[in-house]
Amino acid sequence: MTTRAEFLARIRTQMGRTPGRFTAEPSPRPERPRERFEVLRRELSERWQDNLQRFRHEFERVGGVFHRVDVAAAVPAAIARLAAERGARRVVAWHGEALGVDVAAPLLAEGLQASAAPATEVEAAERSRRRALAADADLGVTGVDLAIAETGTLILVSGAGRPRAASLLPPCHVAVFDRDALVASLLQAGLALEAWHDGAAPGTRGASINFITGPSRTADIELTLTRGVHGPREVHAVFVEQGLAPRRG
Amino acid sequence: MSEAAPVTPLRERAGQALQDTFLQQALTIATTKFIGLRREAFDDFPEGEALRDRARAIKEATLQHLDRHLEQLIDSVERGGGHVHYATTADEARRVVLDIAGRAGVRVVVKSKSMATEEIHLNDALEAAGITAVETDLGEYIIQLAHERPSHIIAPAIHKTKGQVAELFARELGRPTEPDPEVLTRIARAELREKFLIADMGISGANFGVADTGTIVLVTNEGNGRMVTSLPRVHVAVMGVEKVIPSMTDLAVFLAILAKSATGQKLSVYTSLVNGPRRGGELEGPEEFHLVLLDSGRIDQLAGPLREALACLRCGACLNVCPVYRQIGGHAYGYTYPGPIGILLTAMLNGPGSVTELAHASSLCGACADACPVRIDIPRMLIELRRDGVERRLPRWPERVVFGVLGRLLRRPALYRLAARVGRVLQRPFVRGGTIRRLPLFLGHWTRTRDLPPIAGRTFQERWARLAREDHP
Amino acid sequence: MVTCLGDLFYPEVGEAIVRLLRRLGVAVDFPAGQTCCGLPLFNSGYHADAAAAARRTIALFEGAEAVVVPSGSCAWMVKHEYPGLMTDPAGRAAAERLAGRTHELSQFLVKRLGRRRFRSAVPGRLTYHDSCHLLRGLQEAESPRALLRDLAGAEFVDLPGADECCGFGGSFAVRLPEVSAAVLDKKLASVEATGADCVVACDAGCLMQMRGGLSRRRSRVRAVHLAEVLGEPR
Repeated sequence: MTTRAEFLARIRTQMGRTPGRFTAEPSPRPERPRERFEVLRRELSERWQDNLQRFRHEFERVGGVFHRVDVAAAVPAAIARLAAERGARRVVAWHGEALGVDVAAPLLAEGLQASAAPATEVEAAERSRRRALAADADLGVTGVDLAIAETGTLILVSGAGRPRAASLLPPCHVAVFDRDALVASLLQAGLALEAWHDGAAPGTRGASINFITGPSRTADIELTLTRGVHGPREVHAVFVEQGLAPRRG
Repeated sequence: MSEAAPVTPLRERAGQALQDTFLQQALTIATTKFIGLRREAFDDFPEGEALRDRARAIKEATLQHLDRHLEQLIDSVERGGGHVHYATTADEARRVVLDIAGRAGVRVVVKSKSMATEEIHLNDALEAAGITAVETDLGEYIIQLAHERPSHIIAPAIHKTKGQVAELFARELGRPTEPDPEVLTRIARAELREKFLIADMGISGANFGVADTGTIVLVTNEGNGRMVTSLPRVHVAVMGVEKVIPSMTDLAVFLAILAKSATGQKLSVYTSLVNGPRRGGELEGPEEFHLVLLDSGRIDQLAGPLREALACLRCGACLNVCPVYRQIGGHAYGYTYPGPIGILLTAMLNGPGSVTELAHASSLCGACADACPVRIDIPRMLIELRRDGVERRLPRWPERVVFGVLGRLLRRPALYRLAARVGRVLQRPFVRGGTIRRLPLFLGHWTRTRDLPPIAGRTFQERWARLAREDHP
Repeated sequence: MVTCLGDLFYPEVGEAIVRLLRRLGVAVDFPAGQTCCGLPLFNSGYHADAAAAARRTIALFEGAEAVVVPSGSCAWMVKHEYPGLMTDPAGRAAAERLAGRTHELSQFLVKRLGRRRFRSAVPGRLTYHDSCHLLRGLQEAESPRALLRDLAGAEFVDLPGADECCGFGGSFAVRLPEVSAAVLDKKLASVEATGADCVVACDAGCLMQMRGGLSRRRSRVRAVHLAEVLGEPR
């Protein structure tokens, strides 16, 4: 089997044989991305209404359903309503601290089978059980780490209390966010990605970052668009006007 | 040498495709639709042209320091807890994957769409080793059940009718069903959901590998990419070495133009960034993450004439605009990668002898280069392949004779004029009503479907003397 | 530069160009001994022979103030590929000089001479097909259209898919003749759907392909070269 050294040596040999086609540079990178991103966030927070409007427009264009509530405390009721409309009983959710609002307890109180992901590491058997729960769930509730106005995209970072399955396995995905998540463009999201990866330790961040732009879809059969191929058939975004509690992770 | 050459000549395969009425319809509808979607997306996107130039520059810059960027990618992946493997040949790549599967006791594999794994015929190797490998992209799933190869880079089952898919599901899954895409999709969802949940290993490709952070990026629409990289306990990503890009800032540039070029979407539904195995506290994620770096002809092209083709993002835009692809579809090309870029990739992976015919499956119209998000000059490289073929004496002798004669005539004007006069005489029996409707030998290739003008009674050169005098009476 | 196809098959196009240019006050010369720019050899990979044809052509036109070419493909060959085919600095310099002085007909009329208004020599409805080398090689979509739109005595309509290949592609037309014919069918269907009497092209290759197809279908539509449509300047 080829070793790392052999592989790279082959590359270097071939590289040595030819000059480049033209002078070219990779993208210039921000020097202190975390700082830059903080500055950007502050700038964006002044234009959040415009970005929200654009986000809503693009999100709906790709088939998302937009909702608005005043306060975080109103979120569980909104979810319960969605569940009732769909005859949905089983809900899996991110941990309250990752969401910025506790939804599991209020939903349980409404008679739904709701569970929130644990905030810490659990054993393999428990992980398996939780995965089966998500696979059986009708509705998954997550937070949103970034919402891109230009494309109507929700960016979700995985981690403790932030299971990937909640936005993937149930047929209905409900994402809860506030103005702090909004960025204007894909290129700004690039800055966020630089910022998140800047520095040695990933912290509590998980190994998966997902950009979600509308419900799962395919046009593989005669170019006819169908939704909900493997991922959710529906994606809902619930905007909390007055903001969520500060989120962990 | 990766793929076996097709047994029938290109012209015959093309002929069959032209006779396939459904294929013709499907190709027209699909390609026209994709062209329209792409055009709308870029019309609405004034920064698009500058971003395409940027993307091209990033790819070129990366190739100029490929060793450095790959080293950084490798180190980043390993720091994140992943393992990196090096495959010089397709065969080695297969063995590496089988090795990983063997050590992890893998019996069932779920795969998300990956041209790299198609290229190395990985599924065959897995099946031969007694491992069940299930394609999960709906189009790939369909063609896997049908035992076929993909016919388009991003819409692999475009050549199948919904009726054919329904029949296929009925036969292979034992579930009689109606030819309704909604119904068929639901069936596939249920069948594949089961597989996702029990699979031991997920295999994906990688649209990009971000060197700075050790991140593998998957661009999909269905959600299978997320499933494959989150649910099974082992994840293997097979990635061509040319897919590495330096940073997340670069990634944003590519994401801005990739989906638009492929399907007209601003972004595909899912862009999944994978940073290695499951981290503490996560409920999902593989215990093991493996990145297989694939050479298979690519590294040779760093110093080769097809170097530019290494910038390819596998978006399929060139297929959609190619007058040849639009008529004959993907299977007629006879190799894993069809369309304009496919000819170049086939030469890269299988050597120049594999494209003696394919290098001419093009009218050199240039629509592909126009559509390519990273501005790959495909026609120039097709001419280069043809030149290379001539140098290796690959064309058959009748062609070499014809072009040899032509070359001589063009250098000797007296001979050229004589040839014109001779042609004028020889054509007489064939000229009817001022036009030629039938000619023998290879010239019949033209006249079978089109009329041909005769050589003029007096050529322009023969008329010039009088024409010159008109001005100076 | 009359081009090989122009010389042998469409001499009337060459004549029309000469007369047209004279009407515009341009003195026209024709270096004897022209054969072909070498594009067919180049496209099929016979680059040594193509280079020889290029050298001949460069020598023939040395000293010309401007070279007008009726075909976008030949103009492209001279302007874009000739310099690269020359292996010596003197040859390359000569090639670049020629490249700088070579113009496809519509570009010469509109951009060099600034003349775009003519009477139509052909009545009725006209549509325009972009030849690939002119459109993408020479980046020229506007000059021919400007000329056709401004024609007095004719009506211009857009051709849907005008930028799509006609299927000629040189030797492609006989290497994959069925594919070439299928592509042509698509093109001609679009042309006929416009209701035009004539489809205009700026390339002898496209003309040969389209005329061949229209004639075989016994269509009432004619394929003509731009030079055949431009009548008296106005």
